[in-house]
Amino acid sequence: MLDDNHHQSISLTRGKNKTKVSDDMRITSINDFGEVYSAYAAGCLDPAFALMVETQAVLKPEVSRAIAHAETIAGICLESEEALAVSDQALANTMAMIDAFEARPAAQTSFAKSACAALDELLALPDPLRDNAIDAAGSSGWQNLTSGVRRLKLDIGSQAEVELYRIEPGARVPEHSHKGNEFTLVVSGGFSDGQGSYGPGDLCVKGETDTHQPVGDMDGVCFALAVHEGGLRFTGLMGVVQRLLGQ
Amino acid sequence: MSLETTGNDSGEREHLARCVQRIASERSRAAFAEIFEYFAPRLKSYLVRLGSDPNGAEEIVQEVMLNVWRKADQYDQRQASVSTWIFRIARNRRIDSHRRMNKPELDAEDPMLHPAKIEEPDITVNRAQVETVVRKQLETLPDDQLILLKAAFYEGLSHSQIAKKFGLPLGTVKSRIRIAFQRLKGQLERDQH
Repeated sequence: MLDDNHHQSISLTRGKNKTKVSDDMRITSINDFGEVYSAYAAGCLDPAFALMVETQAVLKPEVSRAIAHAETIAGICLESEEALAVSDQALANTMAMIDAFEARPAAQTSFAKSACAALDELLALPDPLRDNAIDAAGSSGWQNLTSGVRRLKLDIGSQAEVELYRIEPGARVPEHSHKGNEFTLVVSGGFSDGQGSYGPGDLCVKGETDTHQPVGDMDGVCFALAVHEGGLRFTGLMGVVQRLLGQ
Repeated sequence: MSLETTGNDSGEREHLARCVQRIASERSRAAFAEIFEYFAPRLKSYLVRLGSDPNGAEEIVQEVMLNVWRKADQYDQRQASVSTWIFRIARNRRIDSHRRMNKPELDAEDPMLHPAKIEEPDITVNRAQVETVVRKQLETLPDDQLILLKAAFYEGLSHSQIAKKFGLPLGTVKSRIRIAFQRLKGQLERDQH
């Protein structure tokens, strides 16, 4: 899996040659990315893909394990980091921040928020997604696409478009192509298109010239997290990891 | 280059872990000061190297250390070393600041809006075991692999940025990092190139 990343053909999303689709067109796991873990561990992944990695880690133990390794490497590196003296008042400043924090009124739970999250389905989503989805359901709301297919736009501070799809058993997502690449992670349930079937934790990657028409599997409602590059063009698959934060 | 750090032995790690536990159980400011003394200068150095100006870096360091105070009760020594835990807090702080930059109308840091997130016990991954294996393997890793691993996982450079920085072919960077990452995961390299 992970060792596949040396032939992770980025060309797979530039499917000009439509006859060669099938296996090459499909990535079923973020494991195939390899580089994504290091970017995630270091905090350099675009928020849309960071959310996708966190969600997939809940669904796939091997992803969770790879992230644990990646973060541990970074943590150990921090130990051997040279020390750069902080200013004399830095500790005192921090203590003052702690004072302010400790003096705050007791935190109130936002009942309004949880009230509009009446849908148990949303509460059952994996942790990294849950809050974002509940926020979005309360603000922008669900959009009906076709019978049995609904879409919720998530606002997570990425320039990429991030959407949660809810597909009922047997429902067809309208056939579509994409402006730029589309990454779809199955969160629960499953869907199939002409090229394959995807279950929880599987990732479906489609390039600009691909069209597909996913159909919800019959064994339950499918939730899927989709990230579109939209107008934002990542230069190849790995472009997503190259947007260093804070620089 | 080496990751050897004088005195950073398991005894010291144990001590740091106990300091965090004392912050959680006694709200001990003395224990917090020790954690601050160890990590603040390292975090500052890290942030400056990643491109922050020294003043901005110091502000972030203070916020990260405040979060260490706030989240101390979530620290679980069986899950991670203090270094890994604090690195994750710092990393999440950077991601949050990026999110805030794109959503200026929301104060995502407002503790009222976001009560400290509970780190759910990871039943599938034994992070303590991961730490042990990674530490052991890091000691034996050849320097040429170690440097690249650090650039990718710690400094967050992409493989093509690393290739440029070290003047290596992209394929070499990819295969060295892959081999090193597999070794750290305690896996034997099967397909040598």
